[in-house]
Amino acid sequence: MKPGTRLKSAACDTEVMVIRCGDGTIECGGAPMGEAKPAEPAPLSADFSGGTLMGKRYVDADGQYELLCVKPGKGSLSVDGVALVTKDAKPLPASD
Amino acid sequence: MPSDEPAAPAIPLARWADRQLRLLAGETGSSRIAALDGATIVGERGANGGYVVNGKVSAGIGGSRLMPTRDHGWFALTIIRAEDRELLPALFGDADIDITDNEAIARAVARHDCAELVARGRLLGLPVASADEVPASAPVELMAQGHRRERDAGHRPLAVDLSAIWAGPLAGHLLWLAGAEVIKVESLTRPDLIRRDDPATFDLINQGKASIVVDFADKAQKAALVELIRRADFVIESSRPRALRHLGIDADALVREVPGLVWLTVTGHGATGEAASWTGIGNDCAVAAGLSRALAEASGEIGYVGDAIADPLTGIIAAREGWHAYRHGEACRIGFAMSAITARALAEERAHDPALLDAELRGWGAAIGRRFPHVPRRPLLAPVREFGADTARYLPC
Repeated sequence: MKPGTRLKSAACDTEVMVIRCGDGTIECGGAPMGEAKPAEPAPLSADFSGGTLMGKRYVDADGQYELLCVKPGKGSLSVDGVALVTKDAKPLPASD
Repeated sequence: MPSDEPAAPAIPLARWADRQLRLLAGETGSSRIAALDGATIVGERGANGGYVVNGKVSAGIGGSRLMPTRDHGWFALTIIRAEDRELLPALFGDADIDITDNEAIARAVARHDCAELVARGRLLGLPVASADEVPASAPVELMAQGHRRERDAGHRPLAVDLSAIWAGPLAGHLLWLAGAEVIKVESLTRPDLIRRDDPATFDLINQGKASIVVDFADKAQKAALVELIRRADFVIESSRPRALRHLGIDADALVREVPGLVWLTVTGHGATGEAASWTGIGNDCAVAAGLSRALAEASGEIGYVGDAIADPLTGIIAAREGWHAYRHGEACRIGFAMSAITARALAEERAHDPALLDAELRGWGAAIGRRFPHVPRRPLLAPVREFGADTARYLPC
């Protein structure tokens, strides 16, 4: 999948932009994400219902995946069933 | 370059800044503001820092670049954090781009249309602009209103300055020159990095301010900060809306609750709607204002005008508007959009003296490789407080 691709959650309102990814399945609310929303929403898995936050960057432990939340929702993000975590923002240096 | 090479001519829009400062001096009655001039406030960082006029690369550390797009537009991209480079594959839809190579980035820009890059860059939170866009917001926006506060004639206003970098701190500096007691608030984990990166500028615009440091992970300290804000006449802040909410500060609610509180929100492109989530920094905001396009039309070559000029222009306007509101007495929150303020300055300068503006832009366009115009180094009028030196005094908890 190309970086810059926008993915939508099948289970909630979440949308992400792919910054970096591997070959695994990117999920939200426990269901695979896609470029289009499915006609029938997927059920929100209780294990992946922590919610996404606008503007946060989400990563996996290996740094292989990074997703930017561009629309928040009730589901939380995972890859092949393993939850992603937020990447802590670094401070802004002086403007130039 | 020979050392006797003349410096660049006047920075365009410095005369507009000067007129604003004259008005602010009259409105505040401050002899210290009356002693300032626009060329100094707009140009002191570049002059003190030995900046050189650099055309399509911003002066100073050169973090902003103007690059041509496939559809013959000009795209400005500012990269000042290494982690922002990690977003470039997503900006260009290209996993293999060498994100450390500015030439490769320019080649990627040339393969895309300008509007597409600006839209995606803003979604990614990158400070980007098109030379041909129209600023998304009004320059000055009333966001919330509250109750009136009567003040004694001799009241000394208290300003809580949560802002960072240049525009917001300059507004606080001007209020300090006008007689306010100003408290600079920094986060323990995210200090204002110009303290470290450009101490000369930091000292000029933060001199005389008390310095307090807040650990925003500590609920008691956050609560003490909110109590401090409830005693204040001014708050100056330059956070994106969700960052402020994350800190546990509800600006609109405080403005409704605290009589007379004047809350100044400094942004790149606007404080409400979609533009509130965009980032904007002085150089790219000036591009979004049409200033680089104006330079191209006057001189034949596009480039940056001055040094992050949207910052000082905005700082002056924020101080003026804030002072008006304070004198008026009613609590309010006012949003400032750096891109739109710069566009207003350009339009007013064009109306004021079009031939002179045109000559200044041509002169600036011809000054590539020359040093920034000299301005006298301002002597400090008060000490610069150490990081957090006044925390215990203002945040008892």
